[in-house]
Amino acid sequence: MEVSKKKTPSPVELIDWLNDEGVLELEWDFPEDGDLFTAGLDSMAVMQLVVAVEDRFGIELGPEDLTKTNLATPTTLAALIAAKI
Amino acid sequence: MNRSTEVFDVAVIGGGSAGLAAAVAAAREGARTVLIERHGYLGGMGTASLVHTFCGLYLLREEPGAVFANPGVASEIATRMIAATGLGPVRMGRLDVLPQHPVEFVRIADELVLSEPLMELMLHTQLTGISRDTDHWDLELAASVGPQRVRAGTLVDASGDAMVAMLLGVESSMIEAPRLQRPAYVFGVHSSRLLDDEARLQTAGLIVEGVRRGDLPADALGLAFRSSGRVGENFGTLDLTGGATAADYDPLDAFCLTRLETTGRLTACKVVAWLGEKSEFWKGAYISHWPTNAGVRESRRWIGEHVLKGEDVAAGTRFEDDIALATWPMEFRETARGPKLRYPEGNRAAGIPLRCLKPAGIGSLYVAGRCISTDHDAQASIRVMGTCFATGEAAGRAAARKC
Repeated sequence: MEVSKKKTPSPVELIDWLNDEGVLELEWDFPEDGDLFTAGLDSMAVMQLVVAVEDRFGIELGPEDLTKTNLATPTTLAALIAAKI
Repeated sequence: MNRSTEVFDVAVIGGGSAGLAAAVAAAREGARTVLIERHGYLGGMGTASLVHTFCGLYLLREEPGAVFANPGVASEIATRMIAATGLGPVRMGRLDVLPQHPVEFVRIADELVLSEPLMELMLHTQLTGISRDTDHWDLELAASVGPQRVRAGTLVDASGDAMVAMLLGVESSMIEAPRLQRPAYVFGVHSSRLLDDEARLQTAGLIVEGVRRGDLPADALGLAFRSSGRVGENFGTLDLTGGATAADYDPLDAFCLTRLETTGRLTACKVVAWLGEKSEFWKGAYISHWPTNAGVRESRRWIGEHVLKGEDVAAGTRFEDDIALATWPMEFRETARGPKLRYPEGNRAAGIPLRCLKPAGIGSLYVAGRCISTDHDAQASIRVMGTCFATGEAAGRAAARKC
């Protein structure tokens, strides 16, 4: 469904979703401003993330979007996705 | 000098991280030792397959600062490596790893071997047959110059593939193909600038874009680049499915292993050429180094007096006859899309008992490295080079002492 597909995720929803997609394995209490790189977001996980974001939200993240600032935390990642939707 | 009449105390099959440590330890115990290696240099995965980090060297701990888990040959090689590269341990997520350089590892291995007067090294030589006499092993070898024979009192199988079990026709173990750890194809790439985190992330984005547009094969999604620490020198690590589907991967089939090499090279060439066109960072980049062989993480395992289980690693279980500590989490790469890590409770290190290095019911024989007696889950922890140094050293010492 296109409508729900485009729904902007909250940082907490994003944490659950990253776990469900197998992009990362985050603790249940992973903070909204927790460091995703320390939690294992390497370049291979980033590629999985881009593919999964495209499937789920129907948006394409390009190389220019994939900065350390944008991907730093669930909060910044949610903001990046929100800006693209 | 005719070696065929000479009887060595200890013969070590395979000169990877485990076999190197085993041979050095056996020689230091006073055993006349021969180390048999199929390539022209030692180091195995860390040299021929260009795997450029030593994992499993350090204790798992929250506090900053890396602490060696297994003093001995492991820490000795690590210390020499740090001196050679100028790079110390790095914390990646929760794990301390040591960047290592394959070229330096080759030299360090040579130095270790040459400093042991009781050790003989046979390069370009592969084990093809084995028989047991009353008091020694008779080894048939295929050297690049033709067949050779060597005799030894005690044997250490550090082949990675439990080659001795196969040649003796004894029962061994291997997980079904879809659950096997996927292989990795690592190659060297020269770039004009130092690859930093931002460039790495953007490279990931470019690769996805290439796959999305159909310019790159889907295999490219298993590729990650890392700087060697030297300006312009990078490694690309490509995790491969190993066949058309995960079930088609067979690390003991020569045709399958051959396809890993050709698939790895083809994908590497396409990605590097594509990145050179699309990215300012990769402009003018070229592939500078091919591996001798693709890196296999898991294949055939021995069945020993004890089989170390994944739940033992998860619980950090210790045994009375521990010879080394397993400190790397169980790292599952059962797909070519990145690892799943399972950490032990309370960061506890698990013990590896000597019984895992002793094949059940066969004397004068020890095993070291990734093919020691474990289940599939525990193997996901003990297979890393840091731990292989430690099981190798223990096997070599035990072989020399015949304990």
